[in-house]
Amino acid sequence: MTIRSNMIILKPQMDPDTDIGGRLHRFPVTSHSAIVAARSDDLEVRQRAFETILTSYWKPAYKYIRLKWQASNEEAKDLTQGFFAIAIEKNYFARFDPTKASFQTYLRTCLDGFVANQKKSEQRLKRGGGTNTFALDFESAEEELNRHRVSDGITPDQYFYREWVRGLFTLAVEALRRSYDEKGRSVHFKLFEAYDLRDEQVTKLTYADLAREFSLNSIEVNNYLAAARRDFRRIVLDKLRETTGTEEEFQREARALLGIKIK
Amino acid sequence: MSKPLIGILLGAVLGAFDGLTAWFTPAVRDQLAGIVVSSTFKGIIAGIAIGFFARKFHSLPIGILFGLAVGAFLAYLTARFAVGGYYFEIMLPGSMVGLIVGFATQKYGKAPAVAHG
Amino acid sequence: MRWLSDNTIEHLRSITDDPDFSATKYKVVKEIARGGMGTVYLAEDIELGRQIAIKVLNTPELDSGLARRMVREAKIIARLEHPGIVPVHDVGTLPDGRVFYAMKFVRGSRLDEYAAQVDSIKDRLRKFQAVCDAVAFAHAHGVVHRDLKPQNIMIGSFGEVLVLDWGVAKLLPAASSEADTLILPGTNCDVRTDKPIDTAHGTVIGTPRYMSPEQSLGEVEQLDERSDIYSLGAVLYFLLTRQAPIERKTAGATGQSATTVSIQRPRELNSKISKAAEAICLKAMARSAADRYPSAVEMSADIGRLLDAEPVSAYRENTVERIGRWLGKNRFLVLLVLAYLLMRIFFILTAKR
Repeated sequence: MTIRSNMIILKPQMDPDTDIGGRLHRFPVTSHSAIVAARSDDLEVRQRAFETILTSYWKPAYKYIRLKWQASNEEAKDLTQGFFAIAIEKNYFARFDPTKASFQTYLRTCLDGFVANQKKSEQRLKRGGGTNTFALDFESAEEELNRHRVSDGITPDQYFYREWVRGLFTLAVEALRRSYDEKGRSVHFKLFEAYDLRDEQVTKLTYADLAREFSLNSIEVNNYLAAARRDFRRIVLDKLRETTGTEEEFQREARALLGIKIK
Repeated sequence: MSKPLIGILLGAVLGAFDGLTAWFTPAVRDQLAGIVVSSTFKGIIAGIAIGFFARKFHSLPIGILFGLAVGAFLAYLTARFAVGGYYFEIMLPGSMVGLIVGFATQKYGKAPAVAHG
Repeated sequence: MRWLSDNTIEHLRSITDDPDFSATKYKVVKEIARGGMGTVYLAEDIELGRQIAIKVLNTPELDSGLARRMVREAKIIARLEHPGIVPVHDVGTLPDGRVFYAMKFVRGSRLDEYAAQVDSIKDRLRKFQAVCDAVAFAHAHGVVHRDLKPQNIMIGSFGEVLVLDWGVAKLLPAASSEADTLILPGTNCDVRTDKPIDTAHGTVIGTPRYMSPEQSLGEVEQLDERSDIYSLGAVLYFLLTRQAPIERKTAGATGQSATTVSIQRPRELNSKISKAAEAICLKAMARSAADRYPSAVEMSADIGRLLDAEPVSAYRENTVERIGRWLGKNRFLVLLVLAYLLMRIFFILTAKR
């Protein structure tokens, strides 16, 4: 299968102009869901929906293919791009039925089906001479895979979910940072980064430590952190809402995402 | 049913029964009618006393002890004036009857309503 | 972009779910339970210095059915002031938009845990009678619980009985009013609590083993107090047998296609259960609502009679059983009279010798 030259090139949402607030306003007012927007008759709306879905899922998909299908990095790149290309071309997302499963499960099933077919088929996916159709940062994904060991005993499905959560939170952190930068509240984000994003290997700071470092008092540290966490939560839920098809699915995924341990 | 009434009825029944068992003592068989009447009367007196006690004092152990004491006392008086010196044979069952009436009047029967205000 | 480690992810997941009560008089101590609609936390009322339980809606949709349902739940419980119904102290909205309500924190064990620890059937029946009384009170105020089960009943550390989780309760038509509105604190959102969160026909609400046949068929319009009576019967079944009711399907006789569904009799599981207790249980769990107790008051009265060794309305005794019950109820008196008779017989026999 070759990538058609007339395919619209989509870029994942790393563009600072397309933050969460702006994106939401461009979806139909009846729904904040990219899944629903993927069925729209409006091409522009559909395109933005595909961008959102691609942003959320390309990295987990790539890592999943590498882990479950034992594909090499080059093979996994081709398969990831090929899958999303065909999914967009044939609009797999419009066929999603939220009553049967979550969107994640649906997408992963489609991905498995695509990869299995590719492996079986004699018509292998031909690379377009090094073209990265969707401008995806596979190098960083590969670096993450190499640097951070996969936990023992984790199934591919669990891994996919975990990577999707990681991607969701990463995007939310970035959106939070941009939002606070725009509002001139970078201290809020720095506090959040210092306290809540700190690597577990580094000694945990106390509020007193943070107060000293940022020349604030403990009450301010407490309030700024509380505000940042509130905003982070709001952004996470907004992003989650984009990648769920119905209110019920959103509620279910929100419950699963927040507060309960995953492997 | 009030507690004194329970005492009277139970005392009378047990007293009568107590009296009737005198038939098994040939020496006093010919006085059976009198024994039954006096025994029944004794039971009624015991029942009244124990019943009114239960009306006033609500305590199962004390009610039983009071019944035992009343039964024993009345049985003693009977044995004192009876012919033959059947103290043990009269006092023990008599005390037991008092005990039973004491228990029954404490456990059953309507206590008087407590006046308010 | 910054790479987030697994531990950081877990930390973020837990802190973003933590409710922010900084603008309220409550301080969260720990999470107690997590359910479909919301999460319950143990918290401290800083002003009054007491521990309370706070239920927080999982997601911050002010205009969603869930938010309305939760406020409605709080309102229903708040109007039911009874020692057997957990009192609601407060309802509000968190800064992040999540609705919450604060209620009494009950220290103790659930009824199923209690039943596992307590061997005395009489003690279990006393607790059950208290449940009936609480439910009767709710019915008298036009509220049907719809999800009665051992897991929704708490036994406090002083033996008090509390019925919890009124989240799917139904207001009977007479109890609703047009004036029933509530402005959610901190919002301009008018949450009309009787607007249709109400369940559509065909919707099944409740817990399978404890729900009435009409409830399991989704016959929402037919649900009234007698559905709760069925559930009470199922709870009684559990208390008597320590098992949830077991259904038995019997194939119809030749020529009949229908399968009869019946409940396995409690005495088949535990022969120590009295016939009267079994009869009360099975009457409450009659498949037809018309055959059940008409009210929780009557069911409670029958339980009271059972505990007092009096005849119950659900069971017709024969003479032998009546005598046996009387003897059992008055066994001490009977023993005294027997002792007296034995003594008399002894004197008679020794006198003859």
